[in-house]
Amino acid sequence: MVVVIRPRRVATSAVVVASALALSACGSAGPEPSGGESSGELSVWFPGTNQTEIDLVTEQIVPAFEEETGATVEVTFLDWGDMSTKLNAAFAGGTAPDVFGHGPAALADFVANERVEPLTEYVDRLSAEDQDDLADAMSGGQVNGTQFLIPLSLQGSLLVYNADDFVEAGLDPANPPATWEDVYDVASDLTVRDASGTIVRSGLLLPSQPIGRQQTFAFLLHSAGGQQLTDDGAEAAFASDEGQRALDYFTQLFSGSDAVSAGLGADYSNAPTAQQPLVLGTASITLLSPNSMQQVVTAYPELDLRVMMPPKFEGADDGHALGGAGPGLMINADSAEKDLAWQFIQYMISPDTGAEYTQGIGAIPARASAASTPYVQDNPVLQAFVEAAPLYVTNPNVPGWVQVRDTMDKYIEQALNETTSARDALDRAAADVDKILEANR
Amino acid sequence: MAPAAVYVIVFHFVPVVYGFVLSFTSYSPLSRSGPEFVGGDHYTSLLSDPDFGRALLITGRYVLQVLPLTVAIALVLAMLVNRPFKGVGFFRSALYIPHIVSLTAVSMIWLWMYSQNGLFNEVLSFFGLPGQAWLLDEQTALNAASAMRIWKALGSNMVLLLAGLQSIPKELYEAARVDGAGRWNLFRYVTLPGLRPILVYVVAMDIIFLAQGFAEIFVLTQGGPLGSTTTVNYLIYTEAFQYNQFGSASAMAFVLFALIIGFSYLSMRGISGRRN
Repeated sequence: MVVVIRPRRVATSAVVVASALALSACGSAGPEPSGGESSGELSVWFPGTNQTEIDLVTEQIVPAFEEETGATVEVTFLDWGDMSTKLNAAFAGGTAPDVFGHGPAALADFVANERVEPLTEYVDRLSAEDQDDLADAMSGGQVNGTQFLIPLSLQGSLLVYNADDFVEAGLDPANPPATWEDVYDVASDLTVRDASGTIVRSGLLLPSQPIGRQQTFAFLLHSAGGQQLTDDGAEAAFASDEGQRALDYFTQLFSGSDAVSAGLGADYSNAPTAQQPLVLGTASITLLSPNSMQQVVTAYPELDLRVMMPPKFEGADDGHALGGAGPGLMINADSAEKDLAWQFIQYMISPDTGAEYTQGIGAIPARASAASTPYVQDNPVLQAFVEAAPLYVTNPNVPGWVQVRDTMDKYIEQALNETTSARDALDRAAADVDKILEANR
Repeated sequence: MAPAAVYVIVFHFVPVVYGFVLSFTSYSPLSRSGPEFVGGDHYTSLLSDPDFGRALLITGRYVLQVLPLTVAIALVLAMLVNRPFKGVGFFRSALYIPHIVSLTAVSMIWLWMYSQNGLFNEVLSFFGLPGQAWLLDEQTALNAASAMRIWKALGSNMVLLLAGLQSIPKELYEAARVDGAGRWNLFRYVTLPGLRPILVYVVAMDIIFLAQGFAEIFVLTQGGPLGSTTTVNYLIYTEAFQYNQFGSASAMAFVLFALIIGFSYLSMRGISGRRN
């Protein structure tokens, strides 16, 4: 048999291979910082497509910054779901923006790949007063003690209850329970079933949808005195007695004849205001973020909703809630406009702009001093969330956190559905998490 | 080289070749070092990866649940609208509409219909039956997604089969009737053989699209509950875009690619039969 090599085929193959190799090159490092004189142009990507935030940033904050500095800022808002994908593609292609926003969960991976600029030196240049004022928020933007992300707000979710339901059940809404054990007893009194025994109003409804499960578990775990990872972030620490106590409690809410929650796996956290369980009357106590609660309070002023401080488990030192640093801004390590980028971030966290921004989006201010501003003082909902700020604990900032979180989530779901015991789920989750942490080290 | 050939090479072949190259590397788009060659490690890992194995089974079940029903119902509908009656154009258009609407938009609507207070539970409630957690129950979630996909795929399959029906020469039916063929024999010995080429196309296309099921899973269930709707494509998405592991995601994609080719070929051979 004679094999004929056709030049045209060779040429075609060469084009394919050469192009593939060229694409492979695209997957290497991005461009080095150009240095030199500032062009005065800055590109900024914000996460989220909240129209109120877009209007506030593009029509007020950025024009004011441009007027003050003479810079030109190109702002792009990206859907949260697309943020990581587009950032990754932009980094791979060398077209990432000078400044970009993201949640702390993604921070450690950017740091591990040297994609973000250390900001400790910039932060050190802030006045001592500013540093103290921002201290609570700043810690959530650090990896191994180095500042990489500057939070624009704090975040945290707290238990919110319908006071009228308490009164109807013969409970005192002015004295909400302080321990998780008491919360469960109260929830039992608040739970309403129909004739068939099906729960039609959950006494207590905690998030049990993907990601929400891990957050609820972390909320309970910290209130039991446990923690998710070891202090150095090298190993899982949740497969502990505290972890088992937290997961058993979480499972108990949905299982058996003593259940106080319906709708395992349903996502109410991201539901529209009108579909919130507290609005529909399908739950008496739920976990809400400050802006979600404010939206409910604004839309349904007739509801007497109140905030419960984070309960603790009996025997534990303090109650805690998952929260702390909210989404913040980072500087691209390859940016040629690092000083201007920092100027922009500094402008965003200045007392006036910071207050304008957090008030505009209904978030908890990053500055402790904001607690005395009319925005907080005139708003009982926000006051409660600010008061709880010292009890917020953040998710660990470690490389591979998203995969760690999803792995925990997978096993927590198995325990919640009682396909395995809490102890077994935690042990298996810890084994997998340790492998992920090891691989990302 | 003709411009069309350049287009095909640059936008079709090169990404595939690049994806194949990536499947032998460890690569995160965030990494500054670029792809690192790891040989066939990803492929050997997949052999013992229980999540990937389960995703393959779920994908297979999804295809098997949707494909026969959607083709059979589409064939019935195509035969119904292949007759001249008043308003036939309206019915044909109405049946085709689901195909025009984007899968994501359709999934959002079905997400509401499957919700606790959605259409399906309202109907059950009307008949005094308890509501179901359609997408939250491991036993029903994949079936619920399959039902939506059957509905979505009906329109395009129906139109293709309708075109196939209309291409069958009427003389064949007349000759068969003269030979005493009844309705069933007409269908069995004239319609089905006449439809064979278009059926091959419909089944192959459906296998290709269904085995890559993603948008509906992403919107309706996000792979849950308990991973019961995690298709291979959803797993690839998670691996690549959530965990930045493009190498192993590419390896999964090529295993899926090979399986799709294999099953499409088998189904084509099965339907079209061996030819001399």
